[in-house]
Amino acid sequence: MNETLTQLEAADFINRSFKPLPRAYGEALVSAAKADSRIVALCADLVPPTETDLFRDELPERFHNVGIAEANMIGLAGGMARCGEIPFCHSFCAFITKRVLDQITMQAAYPNLPVKIVGYLPGVATLLGVSHQAIEDVAIMRSVPNVAIFEPSGPEYHATMVKLALDWDGPVYLRMKRPETTPDEFTPQSLEIGKGIIRREGSDVTIISAGLCLAESLTAADNLDNEGIESRVIDMASIKPIDQALILESAARTGAIVTAENHSIIGGLGSAVAEIIVEEGIGLPFKRVGIKDQFCEGGTTSYLMKKFGLDASAIAMAAHQVMEKKG
Amino acid sequence: MNVKHNLQELTNIATRLRLHVVDMVAPSGQGYVQQGLGAADIFTTLYFAEATMDPANPFWPDRDRIFLTTAHNTAIFYATLAERGFFDVADLATYVTDGSPLEINSSERMGSFVEATCGSLGQGLSVAIGCALAAKRQGRASRFYVILGDGEMQEGQVWEAAMYAGTQGLDNLCIIVDYNFVQSEGPMDLVMSLEPIMDKMESFGFVCQEVDGNDIESLLAAYDMARTTKNKPSFIKANTLMGKGVASLEGLMFHQLRFPPEVAASARAELEMQL
Repeated sequence: MNETLTQLEAADFINRSFKPLPRAYGEALVSAAKADSRIVALCADLVPPTETDLFRDELPERFHNVGIAEANMIGLAGGMARCGEIPFCHSFCAFITKRVLDQITMQAAYPNLPVKIVGYLPGVATLLGVSHQAIEDVAIMRSVPNVAIFEPSGPEYHATMVKLALDWDGPVYLRMKRPETTPDEFTPQSLEIGKGIIRREGSDVTIISAGLCLAESLTAADNLDNEGIESRVIDMASIKPIDQALILESAARTGAIVTAENHSIIGGLGSAVAEIIVEEGIGLPFKRVGIKDQFCEGGTTSYLMKKFGLDASAIAMAAHQVMEKKG
Repeated sequence: MNVKHNLQELTNIATRLRLHVVDMVAPSGQGYVQQGLGAADIFTTLYFAEATMDPANPFWPDRDRIFLTTAHNTAIFYATLAERGFFDVADLATYVTDGSPLEINSSERMGSFVEATCGSLGQGLSVAIGCALAAKRQGRASRFYVILGDGEMQEGQVWEAAMYAGTQGLDNLCIIVDYNFVQSEGPMDLVMSLEPIMDKMESFGFVCQEVDGNDIESLLAAYDMARTTKNKPSFIKANTLMGKGVASLEGLMFHQLRFPPEVAASARAELEMQL
């Protein structure tokens, strides 16, 4: 990908660089669809930003740009799934969850159909401001029966998201984020439904994270290491179903837990982890890093992560706080 | 499987369905009587003449699919399904009793003949369009009928869906709006009028027909025209009379009707005379 984009042409909402970005999700969806004729793709007029331009160009007879009409898109997908197809629906996270919750509930989740809901721009990961920021989508979707939620921690896991979505025999929400650069060479660990991945081992504190906050958690763990605190870092890409065994084992092993998510602290990953620990009767130092029950604003991702307390220093500070309580 | 009946047979079926509606709603003393009586001719013509389906094989992928998007109009819906052979007529006695799948809003937990769970208004048309698109892709000849409520057309999603069906030229789709002119809080023009509905739907790309929704021959003729129309979806404005078939109830415009036993008994007697 050394090509430089110099033509005067339509820019997309996400890629603000002059380099083409990798589209591992879009490519994986096309190859899955070539192998399985049941797969169709729908998009509510955000085609390049959701990497579905590849699908549109290669499998046009199975692609629908339904216009800026997300409610209809989910209903269409429900109908297609009833007729034996596997529809992948695409928009931004904010529009494909909050705006169409009733449609998802009644036309995908209640009938337990293989409707795959794919959102981009998770949490604060957008310049586009409050209207486009989904900071409560995981909380909402987590409470809908039958729905599984997967969030990749980086582009190296994007192709796997298509596989996980297909492996779950029902509705899925993929909380995706377009890469902003071509990632370094990285061999991903294998992801499974309901399994967390230990990305770093340590015995003092466990940091459980997902999505954009995973890299920040790893940076925090490096910094903590310099101060003599050893952190276990878990990538909880499968937010629902969640890896209960790994959470309990980590609680027992490290005796202190920090969660870190690009989402409100209410109802998301942190809440899911807390529910499991509390219901097991475990009391331990615990801290949720996330957006603290407030609205955000438009800005660059790194600026917003710092301002709203989602970055490595916020995670490290939370780790210090739980370590102090642990004594 | 497509059983063509003559007019007298269809008229008798419609009367039998109306009798079921009266019997089903009477025990609870109130319910969707008026809509059921009003829509009986739409249900009769669709299920007993127009649509191709096989009650012994409700999952048959090549079936025509009928979506009742006003999922509360269940007395007539369940009566129709039972008489058509999808389940035992005796089960109608469990209507809206605890534990029965015959809930007041139809749910697909009853079986695949409830083609989508539509109690939240405005959603069913989109589902039908999704099915219609998939059927085209799969080379199936199935047709997709959507019984929409007039009040339901105030929902924005209906118009998103109609716009898409129109631009896609979905000729396997036929909307029948049960135009009884009543919504929850009263006559539609006092809440929010849909008019001019024919012009609106035509501008969305539909071939539009207006018929007496209580005239079996007119309904059948409208379905015929819809079926032979190519490259455009169809819209049938079926004007129905609330309470049709029971003189004392005709034209009583109540979304939910209080239905005391003596009224139910006289309605039953009146309908029996028509058989």
